[in-house]
Formats: sequence, structure tokens, C-alpha cells
Amino acid sequence: MSKRIIIDVDNVCFSYPDGHEVLKGLSCRIEEGEKVALIGPNGAGKSTFMSHLNGVQLPVSGRIAVDGIEVRKDTLKQIRRKVGIVFQDPDDQLFCPTVFDDVAFGPLNLGLPPEEIEARVREALAVVGLQGFEARSSFHLSFGERKRLALATVLSYQPEILVFDEPSTNMDPLNRRNLISWLKETDRTVLLCTHDLDIALEVCDRCLLLVDGKIAADGPAGDILYNRKLLESNKLELPLALMTHELLHNILHHQDMEEGERLIIGRFLHAHRHAHGPDSDHHVHVHTHDLDHAHLHEEVDDAHFKEIRDKEQRELKGE
Amino acid sequence: MHISEGILHGPTLAAGFVGAGLIAAATMRNMDMEEIPKISVITSVFFVASLIKVPIGPSSVHLILNGLAAVVLGWRAFPAILLAIILQAIIFGHGGVTVIGVNAVMLGGGALVAYMVWQQRHRFPNMKRREFVFGALAGATATISSGIVLALALVTTGEAFAGVALAVLAAHIPIMLIEGAVVGACADFLQRVKPEVLAGQSTRADRG
Amino acid sequence: MALDIDRYAHLGSPIQRWDPRFKIAALLLLILAIALLKTLPMAAAALTVAIVILLIAALPMHFVWHGMTFILVFLIPFFIVMPLTYPGEAAFRVLGLPFALEGLRLAALIFMKALSIVMISFAMFGSSRFDVSMLALQHLKCPRVLVQMLLFTYRYTFVFLDEMERMYTSMQARGFIARTDRRTLRVIGHFVGTLLVHSFERTERIYKAMLSKGYQGELHSMVRFHSHTSDFIKAAVVLVLALALAIADMSGHFSLAEQAWF
Repeated sequence: MSKRIIIDVDNVCFSYPDGHEVLKGLSCRIEEGEKVALIGPNGAGKSTFMSHLNGVQLPVSGRIAVDGIEVRKDTLKQIRRKVGIVFQDPDDQLFCPTVFDDVAFGPLNLGLPPEEIEARVREALAVVGLQGFEARSSFHLSFGERKRLALATVLSYQPEILVFDEPSTNMDPLNRRNLISWLKETDRTVLLCTHDLDIALEVCDRCLLLVDGKIAADGPAGDILYNRKLLESNKLELPLALMTHELLHNILHHQDMEEGERLIIGRFLHAHRHAHGPDSDHHVHVHTHDLDHAHLHEEVDDAHFKEIRDKEQRELKGE
Repeated sequence: MHISEGILHGPTLAAGFVGAGLIAAATMRNMDMEEIPKISVITSVFFVASLIKVPIGPSSVHLILNGLAAVVLGWRAFPAILLAIILQAIIFGHGGVTVIGVNAVMLGGGALVAYMVWQQRHRFPNMKRREFVFGALAGATATISSGIVLALALVTTGEAFAGVALAVLAAHIPIMLIEGAVVGACADFLQRVKPEVLAGQSTRADRG
Repeated sequence: MALDIDRYAHLGSPIQRWDPRFKIAALLLLILAIALLKTLPMAAAALTVAIVILLIAALPMHFVWHGMTFILVFLIPFFIVMPLTYPGEAAFRVLGLPFALEGLRLAALIFMKALSIVMISFAMFGSSRFDVSMLALQHLKCPRVLVQMLLFTYRYTFVFLDEMERMYTSMQARGFIARTDRRTLRVIGHFVGTLLVHSFERTERIYKAMLSKGYQGELHSMVRFHSHTSDFIKAAVVLVLALALAIADMSGHFSLAEQAWF
């Protein structure tokens, strides 16, 4: 069953008044509930495209529709209710004396009643794990907290579509991990604009490659993010996870090593597959291949693995 | 809010430059090396913030924020405003080169009066939302003082401008209210978020 | 918002190739002469001179037009206000208000003088890189501290303009619309406060970075000025024009735009 088209971009061109062309006939359709990564080299037009999605910039020609409503000057209010943008730098969106005020900013603009505003603030702060921070000032929070707070300020606005600009930059591993799990779980439509191809690989089912103002490739995230030739010819590189994967794969094939070492690498590749989800055909393919060579079954014997690890640690301690 | 080129006569323009020079020399005394980049960078903020437009019905006005400069920079608001005016003259040409002196005395002078008002807050250590009240007063005083200087500059140039001077003063009343509200909210905000940004922060006695 | 006044400084017209020290000194004197004009014919002559200078500077028309809109919006109301508020005899009445022709003449004088000054100043600062213009001012005995601060302020203006635009976009993205109400003013107050807090934090970092690179209160520049005979000739032409305007204006051959000037 095909789902509702929620973002419909049709042949959009945009150029600045000085004649500099940024978008050159960009078209794409995104369905409700899809999680789409938007990748591309610097200057490809990613930011410009994003600011078109909620009418901060309007196309010079072509047409954008969000949930069937065309983005025009007179529809901006409706459009902005539907599309929430989380900016790269949290400091660009936090400017109120308290955390509560920042999160309440969007709902207040909607003119909601006070009880509803409070409920939304509570809910949004709970999602990002900042309960109890209401009375604090965003200026005294850590970077990771500010980054999460910025997300909450958009969540409280309850947009149907969430657009993220580089959500993971400058985040420590734990916060990044939490963000990834949240993104995987949410049932909203998500557009993730990023250079962090690892997060794109984990979260998104579809990937758009934007090059020089046009969509250069559009397909399952697995296909595009595994395509080294395509990525490298567009000033990008394989996600780190895949590079590691390739490297280990080569080691498994071409190096002499002990059974124990093979096991560790095989275990790593196995864990990696779990982290990235077993749904992707590509993943399964790569992994089965590796595991064969490592003389391992799908089900790795945990006890066996533990034994090797313990032995290793004993050796390290010099026992 | 500026006086434009082409209106004032020679003596008023000259008086503006002399006045601005003297006040600048007085307010820049004992300025240390660290303050040079600091005041300059903060001036850029005032410069861009004065591009913000506030709607009044169908029309809109730009913020002036000379009262806020006083609340943040104290006496050093004068050199900051002088810098902003020179840049505006160079970049936008509204309030041009020959009126730099008069404009500096007008807006910078307003800021100095506002700083005196702002400092009165120390007399009310227990007042509720004190920074809001005095910030608003500072913002409003800065605007109205500047309006008076502007009206005086017009009147001294020629009787013909008496009517314009009155119109200018009247136009300053809504601007005064807007500036008061914005500067008050901003001072209150800074007091809550980063009080060390505010000028003339007081001693222990007041904090306790 | 176009703040980069020196965007077309590289065009290489005779004004752009003029040694900035001579250019600024001569054009400032011309501006001073124009500011003191009192007669309509001389103001018209000044406007002609300004247009010619602007044409020689060869700045693109859209850039010049953009730079003029501010002053035009400011000046046009004078044509209505001055005649209606001018004291004394009225030529006729408009909607029951006295309309004085003298006021109209005064408005025309202001309009032409202001426009010519803004045009010349545009040609003056639009034809050299901003830092070069500032250094030229320093050569012309403008206080060093002021020049240094102007350079800093100009540089960071672009940084904060970007930041302000990003912040405003994020507010709009969450449905903010500026209205004439107290909440709008409070939000703007917080918005400006946030910019200030960011700038305070930034200036501390900037200062530390400067110190670590050996800053001792002075900015040094690699820009060196060279003057040729042509620079003198250009300056002389402008000065003669300025003098001619001033003398003709004071000669009494032209009636004052407004008799009760003093």
C-alpha cells in the first residue's frame, strides 16, 4: 500500500539576486513516516533546500508542497506548523531566560491554552531527558544539554515533519547514541541533513544525494551509502562503520592469524550487523560472507567468546 | 533615528563635531588594551540589532538601543555609539559624513543620561524586577533625551524647522515606549542569565 | 542586507585607482562645501558633480540604487512636511493647511544637498577595500584607536548579522510573527540579550586568541600607499570644484532658498 506523499518537490530552482544559482531543478517526493538522509558535499545546496521546506526561502521557479499545501507567502503559517527544523547550532534557537520559556516559545506562538502549553513542555523535555530543568537557564547548560534542548523546543511545536541540520556534530558518543535511538523510534517523517554518514546509515531507510543543486542519486540508504564510487566522486566517503567493516573483511581474507583473533573480528562484524539492523539485504550478504570465512556460525557461542576475552585480559595483566 | 545630511547649517555641524570629540575623549579615558576589541565586538551587536524592525500597525520602526548600550557599556556607550554612527554613515549613507558629530552627541548623549538613570537602581536594593524597571526607564530616557537634542539641533538651524522639530518630538513618544519595553526586557534577561554583562554592577553590599 | 560597502572596490575605474588618502581628503572637503550650500542652483550643480563622480566610479547601478533607498525614504517626506509647517505666508491651502512655497524650496535644497553628499560618500567608500579606507583615514590623522575599533566592528558585524538571521529563522520556523504587542517587544528584548551574551563570550575568546598571537594594542597592516602625479591632479580638480561651488554660493548672485535662514 503506498502511503501519503507528505513532501512534494517539483523542479525547484533557486538563485540569489546576484545571479548565483543554488538549486537547479530539484525534484523529490517523500512519503509520510519515511526517514530520509540528505547528503552531499559542502555548497551542494543542502541548507538552501532545507530553508525552502518551511518557506524561509521561496523558490524562484518550480513548486514545493507540504502535505498537499503549496509553500507560498500566504501559506507560510500552515506550512511552519507542519515542518519543524532543528538547527545545527543550538545557540541559534535558544534565547529565553529559562528552559521552560524556550520550549514554550513555539506553543505560545500557536496561541494554545496554558495547560496545554505546560503539558507539551513537560512531554518534550521528557523525550530529550531534561525533566526538572524547567527553571534553569539554557546559558548554563552543557553543549549536549543545549543540543537536546534545541530539539525539545521544536518537538513541543509538534510538527509532523522533522528536519535536522547536522544533528550529531559536536555530540559526545552517549548523546549521539541516545539521539540515534530516538530517531529510530519516532514515527514522524524525518529528513536528516548530514555529513555524518554513519548516522544516516543507522537511522534512514532512504538517501538523497544532492550535488550541485540537483538530486544526483535517490534510493535505499543501503545502496547509496555502500556505493564507494558514487560517494567518492562527489567528495564524500564511505561511512566509517563500512570502512572499518571493509578493512576487517580484508584482514580476515588475507592475513594469517590465530583462531582467537579471527573470532574477535568475526564477533565484531556480527555485532556491527546487529547495530545496523538485520533488515538490509546488503548487510546480511556481507556478514554471511565474512562469517563463512571466519568459520563462524550465525550464532556465535557466547561462552567461547568470553573465554577468549578473559584469556586476553589475563595476558594483559601479565598473569 | 538620525538627522540626515543637508539640513543643519555650518555652526551646528561644527558644534556637533567639537562636542562629540570632547565627550569621546572624556568617556574613553583610561581605556585599556582589552577594552578595544571588547567594545568593538559589542558595538557590532548593537549595529546589527539596530537593523531589527518593530511593527507599529501597518508601518515599522528600527530599534535605536542607545539606552541598552548604556545599560551594558556604561560611559563607554558613547565611543560605541560613535563607532556605530560612523559605520552607518559609511555603509548606509543615512545620517551621513558631516552629521557624524551631531548624531553622536544626540544618540551618545542620550545614552549618557540613560546611564545616570540606570545607576539609580542601586538606591532600591529590595525592589522587585528592579532591572526591568530601570532598564525600561533607561531605554525611555535615552530615546527622549536624543529626541530633545535632535529638536534643539533643528531649531538652532532655523526657525523654519520649528514645526519639524515638534513633529520629531511627537514621533519619539511611541519610539520611547518601544525602546523602554525592549531595553527593560533585555536588562531583566541579562540580570537573570549573565549579570556580569550589565554595566555598573555593584558591590557586595548590593548583591546581598 | 548588503553591508559590504567595498564589494565593488576591485573594478579599477579612475576613482578606484586613486590613492585613497588623496581621494578621501579631497572628497571630504567637497562634501563639506556641499553641506554648507544655501542656494538652489548651486545645490543642483553639486548634484550634477556628484552624479558625474558616481559615474566615473563605475559602480553597478543596482548597488548604487540599493544604497540610495535609505536616504530617499528619509528625504521624500520633507517635500510634504516643510511646506506645511513653514512659518509665515502661505501661497495657498491644501486641505485647509497653509502650503508655503518657501518650504518647498527648502525641501528641494535639503534633498539635493543630502543626495549629492550620500552619492559622493558612496563613491568614496565603495571604491576601496574597507580596511584600506580606514588606514587612509589613519594617515589623515584620524585617531588610531578609532580606526582599529572601526575595523573590528566592521569585521564582526557580518558574523553577528549571520547569527541574527539564523536565530530569527529558527524563531520563524516555530511560528513567531512580530506584532505590535508586549510579547513581541519582550521576545525582541530576550533576542537582543542573547546576542549580547554570545558576543561577550565571543569577545573573550577573540581577545585570548589575539594575545596568543602577540597583540599589544596595535593592528599592523601590509598596505602601503603610493601616490603619483595623477593622484594630485584628481585631488586638485575636486578641490577647485569645491571652491567654485562655495564661492558661487556666497557671491550673492543666487537668491537663498530661504530668506530667514539665520
